Amino acid sequence: MSFTLTSKDYVNYINIVKQRIYENGDYISGLDAATGDGDHWSNINMGFESLAAAGEELQNMPIDAAFKKIGMLMMSKIGGSSGILYGGAYMAASKVIAGKESIDSQDLCNAMEAMVNDMMQRGKAEPGMKTMIDSLYPAVMAYKQALSANISGRETMILVKKAAIDGAEATRNMEAVKGRASYQTNKGVGNLDPGAVTMSYQIECLCDYIIDNLIDK
Amino acid sequence: MKKIINNPNNVVSEMLEGLAKANPAVKYSGAGVEVISRKEKKQNKVGVISGGGSGHEPAHAGYVGYGMLDAAVAGNVFASPSPDRILEGIKEADSGQGVLLVIKNYSGDIMNFQMASELAEMEGIKTASVVVKDDVAVPDSTYSTGRRGIAGTVFVHKIAGAAAEQGKTLEEVQAVAQKTIDNIRSMGMAMTPCILPAVGKAGFELAEDECEIGMGIHGEPGITRQKMVSAKELAERLLSHILEDYDYSGSEVAVMVNGLGGTPLMELYILFNEVEKILSEKGIKIYRTFVGNYMTSLEMAGCSVTLLKLDDELKGYLDYPSMAPAFRV
Repeated sequence: MSFTLTSKDYVNYINIVKQRIYENGDYISGLDAATGDGDHWSNINMGFESLAAAGEELQNMPIDAAFKKIGMLMMSKIGGSSGILYGGAYMAASKVIAGKESIDSQDLCNAMEAMVNDMMQRGKAEPGMKTMIDSLYPAVMAYKQALSANISGRETMILVKKAAIDGAEATRNMEAVKGRASYQTNKGVGNLDPGAVTMSYQIECLCDYIIDNLIDK
Repeated sequence: MKKIINNPNNVVSEMLEGLAKANPAVKYSGAGVEVISRKEKKQNKVGVISGGGSGHEPAHAGYVGYGMLDAAVAGNVFASPSPDRILEGIKEADSGQGVLLVIKNYSGDIMNFQMASELAEMEGIKTASVVVKDDVAVPDSTYSTGRRGIAGTVFVHKIAGAAAEQGKTLEEVQAVAQKTIDNIRSMGMAMTPCILPAVGKAGFELAEDECEIGMGIHGEPGITRQKMVSAKELAERLLSHILEDYDYSGSEVAVMVNGLGGTPLMELYILFNEVEKILSEKGIKIYRTFVGNYMTSLEMAGCSVTLLKLDDELKGYLDYPSMAPAFRV
C-alpha cells in the first residue's frame, strides 16, 4: 500500500521534527560535547527553525521545488558540515523526483536513496564511520527491501524507522573517521554520534507522520 | 554564561558590523552574507580570500587589508560558512586575475569552499585553493580528515597576500602559499574551555590544575591531559612535537606565539622568552617574531607556537607592508 505525500504534509512533518529537535537540545549538545565541539544542536535547530519559518512558502510549492528550497535553506542556515551535507542531499533528492507535484512511497524511497548517496560522495564517507549516514543508510536499505517484499505501508514505515533508530544506536561502538570526533584518542567509541541521532529523529518523525496521517488504519 | 552580546543568534553579524565601523578601510556585506572585504579594490590583481567558522577573531576578518586578504567570509561560531556566502567573498575579491582560497583543513570548510569554487567557476571566475594543515598534534592522513589548520594559517594569509599585491599570477600565488604551508608547523595547548554563545556552557571541563597538550582551536581533544607545567617545560613540550615533525635545524624561522583568547600577553611573552632560549640553543635563528592573539578560540585560555622556515623569497613576502588591522607590518 502506497501513500501520497504532498508539500503540505512535508511542512507538517518539518514542524513536528523541529519540535523534537528543539526539545532534545540539552541531550544532543551533551552528546556533541563528548565527541565534537558542542554546536551541532544549535546549528541544526537553527536550520529547522528556518525551514519552519518558510513553511508557508514551501507548502504551496510542488514537492520537487520544495525539496530544492529546503536544500538551499539548510545549506545557508545550518552552515558547517551538516549544512552542506543536508543541503546537497535535499538538492539531489529534488532531482530524482523532478516534475512531481507530490510523491508516493517508491518516490520517497528513491529520494532518500539519492540523499544518502550524495552525502556519502560529498563527505567521502561510508557507513560505519560514525556519522549521520549510519542512521540514513540502513533506513534506505530497509525501505528498499520492504518495497520489494510488498508488505503493508504501515509495516514498511515501522521497519524504516527501526532501522534508522538502530543505526544511530550502532554508532556508539564505532570509531569516528571524519569530523572532530576523529581527533579523539578513542575516536569517540562509547558515545553516540549526535548527527546520527538527529538524523534518526527526522526519519522517525517522518515515518510516524506517514503512519498517523497518510496510511489507512 | 557572561558575554557582552545582545542575542546569541546575532553575534557574527553584530561583530562584523562593529569591525567594519572600527576599520574604515573595510566594508561589511550585511547580515546573512557575513563577508568583510576591502573598500578600495585594486584592479588586475589576484584576489586572496579566507574564512571559516567565527570565534577565532581576529581571524579572518582582521586580516583583510592591503598586503593581506581581499575578503574574509565568516560562518557561524565554529561552523564553516556556506557556499553562497563564500561565493560572495570570491566575487568581492575578484578583479579579473582569479582568486586564491586559503582553507583550513576541516571537513566542513573543505566541502563548503569546494562547492563555492565550483559555483565561482560557473560564473567565470578562476579559483585555486590551498589547504592549511599545520597542527602537529594530529597525525597526517589521507583516510581521515588529517591535520587541522590553526595559527600558521595567518602566515599563509600574509605571504599569499604579499605575493598577490606584487602582481604575481594565480598559479604563482598558489605555489608560494603551498610552499609556506609545507614549511609551517604548529602545536597548541589549552587550560580552560570556551563557551559557544548559542550553547551557553562549556563543552568540556579541565580541572583547575590541568592542561591539555595539543588541543584544537574548537576544543578538539589533544594528545594528553596533564598537570599544568611551568612556561619553560611547556615551551620544551610544544617545541619538541614541532621539531620532531619537521627539521628546522640550521634554518631561519618566523615564530608565532599565539594566544587562544583567554591568556594574557604577559604569559605569551614569558612563553616566547622560553621558546627563544630553546631555539637559540638548537641553532635555529629567529628572523621575525609575532606574539599576540592571532587565531583564538573564544575565551579559551591557552596558546600555540608556530614555526615557519624562511628563505629569501618568503622573507621578502613576510616583510612586505600589510595594512590589515590585525597584522600591521
